[in-house]
Amino acid sequence: MTIFPENVSTYGQEIDNLFWLILVFAAIAFFISLFVLLYPLIKYSSKNGKRAEYITGEKRKHYKWITYALVALLLSDFVILYVEHDTWGNIESVPAISKNDVHVGIIARQWNWIFVYPGPDGVLGTRDDVVIDSMNSSLHVPINANVIFELRSTDVIHSFFLANARLKQDALPGRTVMRWFNITKPGKYDISCTQICGILHSKMRNYVLAETPEQYKHFTDSLYNANKVVTSSK
Amino acid sequence: MENLHQNKSFWSKYVFSTDHKTIGTQYMIMGMIMAGVGGYLAYVFRYNLAFPGKSIPFYGMLGPQAYNAFVTIHGMIMVFWVGMPVLLSALGNYLIPIMIGSDDMAFPTVNMLSFWIFAVSALVLIASFFVPGGAFGGGWTMYPPFSAQGYVNHNPNFFTALFSGTSLLILAVALELVAMLMGGINFLVTTINKRAKGMTPWRIPVIIWFINIAAVIFMFSVGPLVAGAFMLLFDNVLGTGFYDPHRGGDPMLWEHLFWFFGHPEVYVLLLPSLGVLAEIVPVFSRKPLFAYKTVIYLALLSAFLSVLVWAHHQFVAGIDPRMATFFSIGTILISIPFAGIFLSYMATLWGGSIRMKLPMLWAIGFIGLFLVGGLTGLFLGSNTFDIYAHDTYFVVAHFHYTLFPDIFFGFFAAFYYWFPKFTGKELNAKLGKWHFWLTFIFFNGVFFLLFFNGLAGQHRRINDYSSFSLISREPYQTFEQIATVCAIGLMLSQFIFLYNFITSFRKGKKAVKNPWESTTLEWQSDSPPPHGNFNPYPEVHRGAYDYSLPEAKEDFTPQNVPNVN
Amino acid sequence: METQQNHLTIPIIKIPQGRLGMWVLIAGELVIFGGLICFYLLNRIRYPHWGDMAAHTNTFIGALNTVVLLVSSYTVVRAHQAALKMDVAKVRLWLSCTLLGGILFLVDKSIEYAHEISEGFTFTSPKLVAAGDHVGSLFWSYYYIMTGLHGAHVLAGMTVMLIILIQTRKGKNMHRVELAGMYWHMVDLIWIFLFPLLYIAK
Repeated sequence: MTIFPENVSTYGQEIDNLFWLILVFAAIAFFISLFVLLYPLIKYSSKNGKRAEYITGEKRKHYKWITYALVALLLSDFVILYVEHDTWGNIESVPAISKNDVHVGIIARQWNWIFVYPGPDGVLGTRDDVVIDSMNSSLHVPINANVIFELRSTDVIHSFFLANARLKQDALPGRTVMRWFNITKPGKYDISCTQICGILHSKMRNYVLAETPEQYKHFTDSLYNANKVVTSSK
Repeated sequence: MENLHQNKSFWSKYVFSTDHKTIGTQYMIMGMIMAGVGGYLAYVFRYNLAFPGKSIPFYGMLGPQAYNAFVTIHGMIMVFWVGMPVLLSALGNYLIPIMIGSDDMAFPTVNMLSFWIFAVSALVLIASFFVPGGAFGGGWTMYPPFSAQGYVNHNPNFFTALFSGTSLLILAVALELVAMLMGGINFLVTTINKRAKGMTPWRIPVIIWFINIAAVIFMFSVGPLVAGAFMLLFDNVLGTGFYDPHRGGDPMLWEHLFWFFGHPEVYVLLLPSLGVLAEIVPVFSRKPLFAYKTVIYLALLSAFLSVLVWAHHQFVAGIDPRMATFFSIGTILISIPFAGIFLSYMATLWGGSIRMKLPMLWAIGFIGLFLVGGLTGLFLGSNTFDIYAHDTYFVVAHFHYTLFPDIFFGFFAAFYYWFPKFTGKELNAKLGKWHFWLTFIFFNGVFFLLFFNGLAGQHRRINDYSSFSLISREPYQTFEQIATVCAIGLMLSQFIFLYNFITSFRKGKKAVKNPWESTTLEWQSDSPPPHGNFNPYPEVHRGAYDYSLPEAKEDFTPQNVPNVN
Repeated sequence: METQQNHLTIPIIKIPQGRLGMWVLIAGELVIFGGLICFYLLNRIRYPHWGDMAAHTNTFIGALNTVVLLVSSYTVVRAHQAALKMDVAKVRLWLSCTLLGGILFLVDKSIEYAHEISEGFTFTSPKLVAAGDHVGSLFWSYYYIMTGLHGAHVLAGMTVMLIILIQTRKGKNMHRVELAGMYWHMVDLIWIFLFPLLYIAK
């Protein structure tokens, strides 16, 4: 049993590593604090019959220990911030567009995900876009390519969660958010909605189907051929 | 002047009373009843999570709509109708006048009104279950447009929209906030104006400081939400478009408003129970509170920082990434004052003469559990890891590890500590120990394993995980079942408390005036305190924590003792 | 017992109880209006055509109401001065003037509302929505919620003043005149912010 689900994205490992880093800091702090909390209960028990010392904690030799602890906490906080900062920028900003990228649109609706493929011209928002709105149709993406998606919602707030890629992003009605992922391993991965959106919130599930570039090419070709009518009206 | 009340009828003595002790008790009882309701809701949906699709004993089948409503109202009740009344109002009302050596609150009638508005708000909330369509089921955060669809989707009829679960919930919350605001005004004025002679600011016990700081945080963060709640109500019943993106509004506005209040609210709940610890730890360590002034300065600092961290609830909501970094820094900064406060309590233990009585047991349990809650906050405060952990069971476990010790351990610590003062009776210590250990063990049983569910990617507010191959597998379903069994155990162990409460109240041993040998003023009054609290009124000569003064014979010197020898 | 009570009625900080309570209440109220004003400004920044709709508000009545409120603030100060001298007749005279100012304000406001509603600018403005002018409709929603909440405060202030007017008939509760005055100044102050936002900046 592993703690996290299998990581299949390029940046997922960084998030997992960040977890272990914070866990080390948290565990050290936890065990030291637990000792500081529990040890005096035995050492200074009233059963020993000793009168308590009168320490107000206003003298430097007493409060310096708290200062050290707080400085250590602050330092470890900033170490965490420093380490995570690059990852955050990496995930939250869409990479420069290159030729291998795939652009898709993802539209959340009560209660399914609608996928928009860019059509033969590879550009979203043109008339040859193909909209797939079906519970049975998954989002096909090629592996080892940056998949840049525009996330929207038509009704209420939803949240796009791809646990295997460690990616989550809310879909707000009236806004378009650009995010990206790059899956490195072929497979079928859950997409779930993590923002409560109504009665069938728990059924709002679809999949990302990560395929080899050849399979993906095959899929898009057949998709665009089937939707030729739309394309020709351009 | 108020002494006339002594001879009043049952109604004016126990129901429409203006006595701060009676009102405090009313708040406490009301909070306990609501905790029962919230606990029942939790039992129903936890049972459903462990055994999906099975009929639930004492409820029946739970559909997705009811599940959503139960989760939502459970959160609402525990924060607004249990945490707020019990920690802020009950403790504040009971303790502020008596601990500063006064007879009553500054505005007793406002105080009574505050309680009755609160009682009405609780009724409105319960009523929302019984309107057509049931209670609101969109999470306690009530994000629009989901919470603003009363007008658009269902029926553009004013009364249908007004008597919908959504509108009633907004109304109930608004009423509750008004009640708490009235209470807050009272707390501040009482503490500033009605202190006994000699009770200078640096002699006020920490709990009184903390309750007042909490009242200030509450007053300054709740205002925009009150306006925002009315806007949401109008969106629902009149069809305005304040939060409707198709009508020029912005749902993000509510998110900001809600969390601008919602995060400081956490500290509003936390500070009174930290105050309880600040009273209990020195008494049972027989030692002055470590760095009293610093503790108060730290609390003031945290009050200031508390309004600068709210957007860490919105890291994945599509806010500007640079803004997220700012709020991430704010979040880790606010851990510093609270860590400082907890460290000062731990430092108080060192060199003391510790008596492990019941209140102390709860206090130590509180600190131990909150340690887990606080440190898991490090993971979530980091905006990058929050991308993954947001809205998963990791968050659920995290905030239960902070709020459960805060509300329940804090309350029980206070209850076991002040019960002899409230009633003049002693509690059964043996039953109290059973209550503590069962609560402590079962609580960990409920929430510790859920951290792992969260890390496996299990997200919140889902009534049936069978659609998700990733998380509906073992061992996570077993973890859910363990959590549910422990949750039922946790609720059953509260009956020990109830039994202890009632039997001790009726025929417990008579308590002495100052059973814990404490220094603060309330213990210098009779148990239970008479109407008007003191006779004669005390004069304060020293700080609140003069334990084990080297020059004193006794190891405690009450605040109203002029000279040590 | 009585002597003990006496020692308690002398507060350590010499602020009368009611005045202190009123200050705290005003602080709380200002945050509510502060929030609303912030939302309004955010929308104004967000939508370049936000101000277009402000052209339809009646600046003359708005300005008149500003003057009315300012004058009534003056009269309530006179009432307070008279209350300090325990001059019952003067207190009642000036309080009545202030009440009159409040009534005048509400009458003006009603005329204005009636005019706007007749033009189709209501809380939800279905006419504007039908025409696709969602931003305009949102402006009117904000307009009504801000002025409406303010109007409710005017009404509340007037109710309080009426009660005090009745109480002072026998010279009772003169210190409450000051409290009503403080509240009335707050109502005035909020209007000073609303007036330029809703009427002048077009």
